[in-house]
Amino acid sequence: MGSFSENIKIAFQSLFLNKLRSVLTMLGIIIGVGAVVAVMSIGSGAQDSVIASIQGIGSNLIIVIPGSSQEDMGALNQFSTANKESLKLEDVEAIKKYSRHVNGVIPVILSAAPVTYLDKGINASVYASSEDAEKVYNFEIERGKFFSKSDVANSANVACIGPTVADKLFSDEDPLGKTMKVMGRNFKIIGTIKSKGTNMFGQDQDNAIAVPITTAMNKLYGQKYLSMIIADTETEKDIDIATEEMTRIIRKQHALKSGDKNDFSIQSQTEILDALSTVTNIFTITIGSIAAISLLVGGIGIMNIMLVSVTERTREIGIRKAIGAKNRDILIQFLTESVVLSLSGGIMGIIFAGIIALVLNKYSPITATISPFSILLAVSFSTFVGLFFGIYPAMRAARLNPIEALRFE
Amino acid sequence: MAKNIIRMEQIAKTYRIGKIQVKALRGVDMNISEGEFVSIMGPSGSGKSTLMNLIGCLDAPTSGRYYLEDIDVSQLNDNQLAAIRNSKVGFVFQTFNLLPRLSTFQNVELPTIYFLDKIKNKSKKIYEYIENVGLKGKEKNKPNELSGGERQRVAIARALINDPTIILADEPTGNLDSRTGEEIMAIFQQLNKEGKTIILVTHELDIAHHTERIIYLRDGLIIKEEKIDKPVNARETLAKMPKIEDRINSEA
Repeated sequence: MGSFSENIKIAFQSLFLNKLRSVLTMLGIIIGVGAVVAVMSIGSGAQDSVIASIQGIGSNLIIVIPGSSQEDMGALNQFSTANKESLKLEDVEAIKKYSRHVNGVIPVILSAAPVTYLDKGINASVYASSEDAEKVYNFEIERGKFFSKSDVANSANVACIGPTVADKLFSDEDPLGKTMKVMGRNFKIIGTIKSKGTNMFGQDQDNAIAVPITTAMNKLYGQKYLSMIIADTETEKDIDIATEEMTRIIRKQHALKSGDKNDFSIQSQTEILDALSTVTNIFTITIGSIAAISLLVGGIGIMNIMLVSVTERTREIGIRKAIGAKNRDILIQFLTESVVLSLSGGIMGIIFAGIIALVLNKYSPITATISPFSILLAVSFSTFVGLFFGIYPAMRAARLNPIEALRFE
Repeated sequence: MAKNIIRMEQIAKTYRIGKIQVKALRGVDMNISEGEFVSIMGPSGSGKSTLMNLIGCLDAPTSGRYYLEDIDVSQLNDNQLAAIRNSKVGFVFQTFNLLPRLSTFQNVELPTIYFLDKIKNKSKKIYEYIENVGLKGKEKNKPNELSGGERQRVAIARALINDPTIILADEPTGNLDSRTGEEIMAIFQQLNKEGKTIILVTHELDIAHHTERIIYLRDGLIIKEEKIDKPVNARETLAKMPKIEDRINSEA
């Protein structure tokens, strides 16, 4: 019986003999596996960064946004036509006052605004919130301090700045105590925020400043409504009951009658994560099926070329059998060849996906990570394809009658 | 008396081609003893090829018994026959039947990869056998880089590598010019002198006369056996023949 390494060697020899044919045959597998691995890497990369960015905010969060909920995606639907002005600072006060299961609750206005210092300027995200945001929103202060309750009460012109802002505006200078301008108004810098990195959309979360909500409402935007309300609970178990409680309180605040639809939507962090992973899962499944079809087509290509190869090498099979190869030896030889063909395609596909991931990571906001799982999946899939589509041609080769095979011209 | 290495009793082989039955062999009794050099002759359609396939264990008879070294091979299945071919039969074909992609060394090595027992110092043995058939220095050449005679030498080395019980040569000189054919016959005679049992299938009488015994086959039966008291000595014939270079020179 031919040894394993011998078979591998024979397989590579015959594949190298028909380089172009082998590569063309492999193409289906390369594309299929490449697509699977690339999509999985983007999918898991996106999921990782979504999870990281959402969990980076804090844990056990409940998020309220204006506008009635539209299916599951209400919280994420930026095109919601509903009333954007339904959430007020009073709602936050009410929750603070009446809720028993909510741990902390903060009002949030999110926007972007020009931030300048002397001759340098930058467009930064402005997080306007209350003093509790340090805890609820997970703003970690590196140096200095976060704004205080009295800062919020007095609409003080104070701000904490993220690393990117500090870097761009102050480079080597110490920003603490300096006065910068936000939308043309003076703000004193009282703290610097630790780096949070980029989120799933590639936004630099460090290119941000945090200011008291009252200051933002009264002095910057002149608006009375909030972008969202974020609350957290002590433990995960409290989330459901706290959500109910908040819904009741906000409905009462908004004077909604029973039967009226909520003019806000409320969702827990887990629900948002679930909704997001549903999206990425649909994405993965869709591309995965396309890839599966590609693998199927690739497999048929392999079968086709193996059948051609068996016919071409009928005489070789006859010779091998005459000098003592058993049916099984021939079977294994051709099966090895189809698996090597398919597996090489799979490995090239992984490399191909790796290149895609590298390019994406470098030149696009998408983070792609190739997991060992997807490599394992690709390797086992292409091995399977090779075995599945190779078995019939290999059996045909193995069953050839040596006398007839030797006579074959 | 040397022992019988091949013993055939009433061997018959019938092929079915569509609805027609073709009786290729109709009861052949044949004994070949160890160390013999025998040729089987017959016109086409005599059952010569069928008999060769049976002797070489490429096929099983329809009826009758065939003992190869006292093993009843007429009852074996495909895989058992493959094992017998591998260890007991060395084939030399008219068309050489080397694998075109493999080098001389790899072609000679081929039977060993299907060999059940590990061969000690395999590479050394392969080099030795290649040298013995006069191909030292051509170990790395592919068949298309070799002349017909050289290819047949590779085939002979390949046939010998597993130390088979019999060498079965099917028209080994059929594709060669007479001088090269004579050279191949000289190798066979040398091997026979060293004790190898060789069975040669041919339709050329002068080739058959290099062997010790001729078995004539016709219409599926052995019709005559002839002992050759003084076989043609290939080496002597060669000495009398013009050398290839001479011929080329005289042509030029």
